[in-house]
Amino acid sequence: MNLADIPMLPLELLQAGEAADVAEVHGEPAWIGRMAELGLRPGSRVQVLQPGSPCMLQVNGTRLCLRGEQAMQILVRPVPVAAPAMRLAVEPCR
Amino acid sequence: MIATRTTTVALVGNPNTGKTTLFNALSGLRQRVGNYPGVTVETKKGRMTWKDQGFDLIDLPGTYSLAPRSPDEMVAVDLILGHQAGEPRPDVLVSIVDAANLERNLYLTTQALEMGIPVVVALNMIDVAQAQGILVDADKLGKQLGVTVVPIQANKRRGLDELKQAVAACAGRAAPNGAVAPAFPDAFEQEVSALQKSLGEEVEPFVARRLLLDVGGYIETKLEAKHPDLKQRVEDARQRLQQAGAGVPGVEARVRYGWIRQNTAGCIQRPAQRVVTWTDRIDRVLTHRVFGTIIFLALMLLVFWSIFKWATPAMDLINEAKDALGGWINDALPAGPLTSLLADGVVKGVGGVVVFLPQILILFGFIAVLEDCGYMARAAFLMDRLMARCGLSGKSFIPMLSSMACAIPGIMAARVIENQRDRFTTILVAPLMSCSARLPVYLLLIAAFLPASVYGEWTPVLTMFAMYLIGLIVAPLIALLLKRTLLRGETPVFVMEMPLYKRPSLRTVLRRMFDAGWAFVYRAGTLILASMIVVWALLYFPNTDANGVKYDDRIAALNEPHEEARKELKALKVSIAKESEELEKLNTAAQHAGEAGLPAADEARREELEAAVKPVEEKMEPLQARLKPIDEAINKIKGEWKANSLLGQLGHIIEPVVAPLGWDWRIGTAALASFPAREVIVGTLGIIYDLGEEAEESDLATALQEAKWESGPKAGQPVFSIPVALSIMVFFALCAQCASTLAVIKRETRSWGWAAFTFGYMTALAYIGALLVYQIGSRIV
Repeated sequence: MNLADIPMLPLELLQAGEAADVAEVHGEPAWIGRMAELGLRPGSRVQVLQPGSPCMLQVNGTRLCLRGEQAMQILVRPVPVAAPAMRLAVEPCR
Repeated sequence: MIATRTTTVALVGNPNTGKTTLFNALSGLRQRVGNYPGVTVETKKGRMTWKDQGFDLIDLPGTYSLAPRSPDEMVAVDLILGHQAGEPRPDVLVSIVDAANLERNLYLTTQALEMGIPVVVALNMIDVAQAQGILVDADKLGKQLGVTVVPIQANKRRGLDELKQAVAACAGRAAPNGAVAPAFPDAFEQEVSALQKSLGEEVEPFVARRLLLDVGGYIETKLEAKHPDLKQRVEDARQRLQQAGAGVPGVEARVRYGWIRQNTAGCIQRPAQRVVTWTDRIDRVLTHRVFGTIIFLALMLLVFWSIFKWATPAMDLINEAKDALGGWINDALPAGPLTSLLADGVVKGVGGVVVFLPQILILFGFIAVLEDCGYMARAAFLMDRLMARCGLSGKSFIPMLSSMACAIPGIMAARVIENQRDRFTTILVAPLMSCSARLPVYLLLIAAFLPASVYGEWTPVLTMFAMYLIGLIVAPLIALLLKRTLLRGETPVFVMEMPLYKRPSLRTVLRRMFDAGWAFVYRAGTLILASMIVVWALLYFPNTDANGVKYDDRIAALNEPHEEARKELKALKVSIAKESEELEKLNTAAQHAGEAGLPAADEARREELEAAVKPVEEKMEPLQARLKPIDEAINKIKGEWKANSLLGQLGHIIEPVVAPLGWDWRIGTAALASFPAREVIVGTLGIIYDLGEEAEESDLATALQEAKWESGPKAGQPVFSIPVALSIMVFFALCAQCASTLAVIKRETRSWGWAAFTFGYMTALAYIGALLVYQIGSRIV
């Protein structure tokens, strides 16, 4: 399937454990810049650790928390991840 | 080689990268704090040596980028550019990066590379990265980035010598040439140089670049004053860039991350799938909406329990030392203004400050541990939903909660809130939370007017709860009001990084406790001392009565014939002090035991003690009977003295103002005298109601019940009623009667204006609250 065919949805709508690639970041220029500094920009891979508002996200090596109104401004394309919830539960810690 | 002038090294890095740990490891114990006018951030300064060469170190505030949005964020930029008055321009920048999160951390490094100063990259936390399966080839990375990259483990003090050597090698060398920093599109560079030319020589390329990149940034605001047409020119330039396909802010992230990706290629090895870390597992529980919240509440309960439990012995000790010292001064020196100033003004003033030190140290110990291990960010995450309702964020929760113990550490804890409006709002409402110093006032008035024996067991408890509730309800309302009026602005972007969990370092925790304790004792201490002396003077002068006789002389004249009796009584009391204390304990135990009685051994001991104490007490009785009228007469003189003192006169003047609250001049005076420190009221009421300062709480409660209006329409009627007691309690619940708190507000907001504002709004609120309570209450009762 072509990447562009996957529908975009606001980050806020992702469920716990779901992963997605950031497609667009909307809003004030200052906030877009701020997000980029934190590593959240088009192309970054995010995974939802705790949904809701505020939500907690894994963005590359960092975990960030954002409020719902900000998570709405970020459009993502979901990517399948092998049962992330299970993975967290069964994999040994390093 | 010996440098002709000391080399200055500045540390820049993201928060949570171990920057402060590195700074502490490099500079050792000798550190200074750098303050700058108009901003609330501080820098830390220290020194390090490498091969006989000395270096000045500056630890800049942790930041994700050098794109200043506020005066606070401008400090780092100004300092690096050498614009901060009194600070030399750094010769070397050390950019500390987290190896486990390299790309994001290098974003700041790319900005540092544009500063025109040699940069050394300190690659920290290589062990943490390794545990996650991330390996970084430092040498290769250094070659590709064009700067020296030194792998270090700041917490284990590894790689420090190599880092120092790299810094020494860089010092005095020319800045990296332009080829090192990421190249922006030509269209962008042209706009930057055009803008720079039009602004004049004093504006560096870096500043011109930020001007163009940061929409609504601080540099734009700052330069606008000098160049009124700037906004339009910058707007036009941004328009042109947009058309050229290099629109802000997207171009910056694209260029920088593009450069980072290119130059880190082949340097980082990552596992195919992210390794599950302990942080992941712990977070699944600690940030859980239900379990996480329960754990958080339990933890907070533990913190407050410890503050009360552990601080009490230390506070008692300080109080005892204070009283002993005051007593010793009174005994050793002849009565007079100097003795009174030392004993009542200085010792009580300083003692009154130092007594809060144990609470502050304990609270900051906890805060430091929770912050250093990474939990604090989780607590803010959990509490954000609640705090969002009053226009604040989760970061305001801990300062507000801490203020229920004492507003001073609470206000100091507000430093973690980086949005200035949120921080100020939190600071301004924190003193509304019912602190522990209000407790004695509540206890006294509840015992006197709403005793369990008359109104049932629950009345005192519920009244106390209501007093605490006042703060809990009013503070969020005022916060909301402030956020909608004085401190209005765009809702700050609430975004927070959750650091990895780690073991807290003892060094960091002790350092935080020491810094907080010192800041409190030194700065607030000087102010409260001064204000205590002023109040003392207002209560001491004039020290002669209407006939020109000194009150001290009158008291001495009354006392003189009974000196011997007093000494004898004291000696008798001391001789059985230990026994009486033990006896009292056993008696209390016996009361609790009720009909079952004490165990036989204890009962025997009790009888033995009683037998020992009784004859001495019998000897004491006639002495006490003889001294009682003398003491009463002395207290009467003291009462007259207070009434005629400047503060007493002031109390009479303000009586019409406090009369609508149901207060007589004496309550007014006591309330006035307790503006420097609210707990003073208990002692002041004791003095004013002719009981002496050492009055037992129960005696004072009785005296208050019997107090009558001296003059006016209500002459002869009791002063105190339930509405009056409640109006006093509400007044104390809402009023800013704490000079230390105001001093700390001034210190944390860098402005007397905010301290004065807090004082004004809280006093007004207290007056209105007390007025409503009395006026409504006296119509019901």
